Amino acid sequence: MRHYEIVFLVHPDQSDQVPGMVERYQSLIERGGGKVHRIEDWGRRQLTFIIAKIHKAHYVMMNIEVDKPTLDELESSFRFNDAVIRHLMIRRKQAETGQSKIYEEELRDQEKERERDRRREEDVASRRRDGSNDEEGGRAENTADDTAEESAE
Amino acid sequence: MSRFRRRRQGEVNIQSEEADYKDLDFLRQFIGETGKIVPARISGASAKFQRKLTNEINRARFLALLPYTDQHK
Repeated sequence: MRHYEIVFLVHPDQSDQVPGMVERYQSLIERGGGKVHRIEDWGRRQLTFIIAKIHKAHYVMMNIEVDKPTLDELESSFRFNDAVIRHLMIRRKQAETGQSKIYEEELRDQEKERERDRRREEDVASRRRDGSNDEEGGRAENTADDTAEESAE
Repeated sequence: MSRFRRRRQGEVNIQSEEADYKDLDFLRQFIGETGKIVPARISGASAKFQRKLTNEINRARFLALLPYTDQHK
């Protein structure tokens, strides 16, 4: 059995099917006696150029250890799945674990987004409060706790 | 010694790092404004490293992570 790294691009309209697809491939690999060492979902990314009139695609990467028949099966399932617009399979010397640079970036972006959402919520909450109470001006960090306390009261 | 002169001053020995198609910020150092791969003659990469680099950049291009050119629409 050999180590491979696979990246495939899924049509953005079929983005919600990705978890199911990954699961299907995973079971296919394990049925063939292979191992999945790492799976990374890079999410929907902007393509640097248009592929099949698409500007964005959902990227998934996995590091696996499989034998040739299973790999061929995987390959053909990519090929005959219309949701997969492109895939790359490369041979690796050993199992790769740990996070890739792109995934780190993606996670950082997600964190930032979550942060932004949270801040917006806090903003709304503090503004609502400002109507009745002027004290809350620059206490952005405490607002989450304050909200909890207030709802408890 | 001419190889050394070509290398930009203050440039760290970048070749110690492993080229990987997933490390886009690293690879971007080796593509010019037009999206082309910078020749080793300019970047000061060793022949071995330049081969590795070309390979990884082309992988990233295939996955539309890096451009082939700046003319993409």
